[in-house]
Amino acid sequence: MSDELLVVKDLTTTFTTNSGPLTAVGGVSFTLGQNETLGIVGESGSGKTVLSRTIMGLQPRRNVTVTGSAIINGFEVVGASEKAKRQIWGTEVAMVFQDPMTSLNPVMRIGQQIDESLRVRLGMDRASAKARSIELLELVGIPSPVERYNSYPGHLSGGMRQRVVIATALACSPKLLMADEPTTGLDVTIQAQILNLLDELKDRLKMSVILVTHDLGVVATRTSRIVVMYAGRIVEIGDTRDVFYHHRMPYTRALLESSPKVSNHSHTRLQTIPGRPPNLMKLADGCSFAPRCAYATDQCHNVRPTLQAADETGHYFACWNPLPSNRGVRAP
Amino acid sequence: MSADRTPLLKVRDLTVTFGHHRHAISAVAGISFDIFEGETLGLVGESGCGKSTTGKALMRIVEPSGGTIELRGVEMTRLSGRALRNARTHMQMIFQDPISSLNPRRRVKDIVAEPLDCWKKTPGSERDALVSDLLSKVGIDPAVYGNRYARQFSGGQCQRISIARSLAMRPQLLICDEMVSALDVSVQAQILNLLEDLKAEYGLTLLFIAHDLAVVKNVSDRVAVMYLGKICEIGPADTLYDEPAHPYTEFLLGAALEADPDSPMHSQVLEGEPPSPMNPPSGCRFRTRCPNATDRCAEEVPLPQEVAPGHQVACHYPLTLTRRARLAE
Repeated sequence: MSDELLVVKDLTTTFTTNSGPLTAVGGVSFTLGQNETLGIVGESGSGKTVLSRTIMGLQPRRNVTVTGSAIINGFEVVGASEKAKRQIWGTEVAMVFQDPMTSLNPVMRIGQQIDESLRVRLGMDRASAKARSIELLELVGIPSPVERYNSYPGHLSGGMRQRVVIATALACSPKLLMADEPTTGLDVTIQAQILNLLDELKDRLKMSVILVTHDLGVVATRTSRIVVMYAGRIVEIGDTRDVFYHHRMPYTRALLESSPKVSNHSHTRLQTIPGRPPNLMKLADGCSFAPRCAYATDQCHNVRPTLQAADETGHYFACWNPLPSNRGVRAP
Repeated sequence: MSADRTPLLKVRDLTVTFGHHRHAISAVAGISFDIFEGETLGLVGESGCGKSTTGKALMRIVEPSGGTIELRGVEMTRLSGRALRNARTHMQMIFQDPISSLNPRRRVKDIVAEPLDCWKKTPGSERDALVSDLLSKVGIDPAVYGNRYARQFSGGQCQRISIARSLAMRPQLLICDEMVSALDVSVQAQILNLLEDLKAEYGLTLLFIAHDLAVVKNVSDRVAVMYLGKICEIGPADTLYDEPAHPYTEFLLGAALEADPDSPMHSQVLEGEPPSPMNPPSGCRFRTRCPNATDRCAEEVPLPQEVAPGHQVACHYPLTLTRRARLAE
């Protein structure tokens, strides 16, 4: 198991709220290899962001209980002290957040924001930190990095800001880069630029990347494996092509069929999932998707399905009445 | 293509300028288009291209600085006061953020009834029946939810309520500005299907403004592509997506991500970012990022030319023509 960079086992995050406990992430397990890209997809409220923050160890200090384990390159994040986690933030794992405006300090020059981690974490002096920051700005494709070093975030466009955030995350050469909706809110042409940049950096810097998104289009061509989440749990995990073409969980299929496609003819009727995502405070004992599922039986409503193997390639799904395997038959 | 070709809305040389003199920004820089009765015109483009400003200018929520907007022969730009308010009832708008476009402290049935109270003065029982009917049409049970407050609903349900409210006046034209952008895919599909159903039932004409190319194609009969305040291409949805004539359209389509691991990866990615509308490039506005640009593009503003029936492109070197020429050689 030495080639696994990240091992997540039975990770559960429960928030204590005024109206009782809320399990945002419930018993999630998966592994991530070196130089691999994993996509985590799900709708809002599926727990994908809480999961990625829990793996980082970025949960709030109070009113939250985390159990299970998340081991990044041998370091157990769950239960680690803030001081200990600081040793891995930046050098082992770094995060790119969704909104580039709120993850940068608006009254600090962008160069200094990159310098900060270099000087604090790597103990560089001012001059070499500046040189390295300019190198990083160049790496992420910012034109005229020397001049940009002194710009404020407000001077940059959304796409450029996201590049700066990526540069900040890469400053201490992390082995794992977590990108939480890195392109949501950016225009399509800028989105393509940022995703290409992440791809290229991953290969060049030999990193692993976790791409958290609600957009199936983002993960389709950029990941090797995909985790599909629903109501805080993994409902399907497998190689990207398996999840897209040979999915067994009805939710995965419904999600794929309800997203409009550019290749559809105009006025194509979309498949819809009836109802709404469940309230996490009132989760039933059975499968969380059962109330919206066309194949649900009594068993589904009463007993929660566990992940079972679809084949030997690491494709798992959690469903009592899975879709028939269509291996050998190429889905449209 | 829609059956009868009477334009419901005729827009000519519409310009919207914000600010004055040296600080003037022309958000919409002279666009012309028609929306025919019963069709859906999609309007796509990246942020800052002026698509939302266009929608708002049609309603005169922002004041156009020039050009004409004709709705069924009524010149909207010359109206004022009560006449304008009256004319506006024929057009309704649905906004992007469903939650902030409803007053959280009002009851759902009052929100939907407000246009009726303002304009139709419908008697009580008839009014209640109309409101209940509208709410059930959009999939909200009036008996259960009618008395609840807008704040008690999710984004998707709020968007349904917005639709019910906009239909209360029986508008001829519905302007949808990014109406599904804030919704999850499964909810988005429900709302898009609902919109198609209601369009058929009420005989609506739609202007559907969105940045998501896949969403726009799924609902539109014709599509217009905007870049930096200008329409660069307009044509039937299927043709425009299959055979884009403007280089920008082709880049935009290439950048759109398809939820399919086997979809071809487009190696060509549009470099750079749109220039500032404060100081737009001379000639063709796309020339600074266009790989085919020549000196002519810097000097002459390209005028819309027809490349196929109903398919117009504002480019000196439209792609289909060069392609055809290449094939002929």
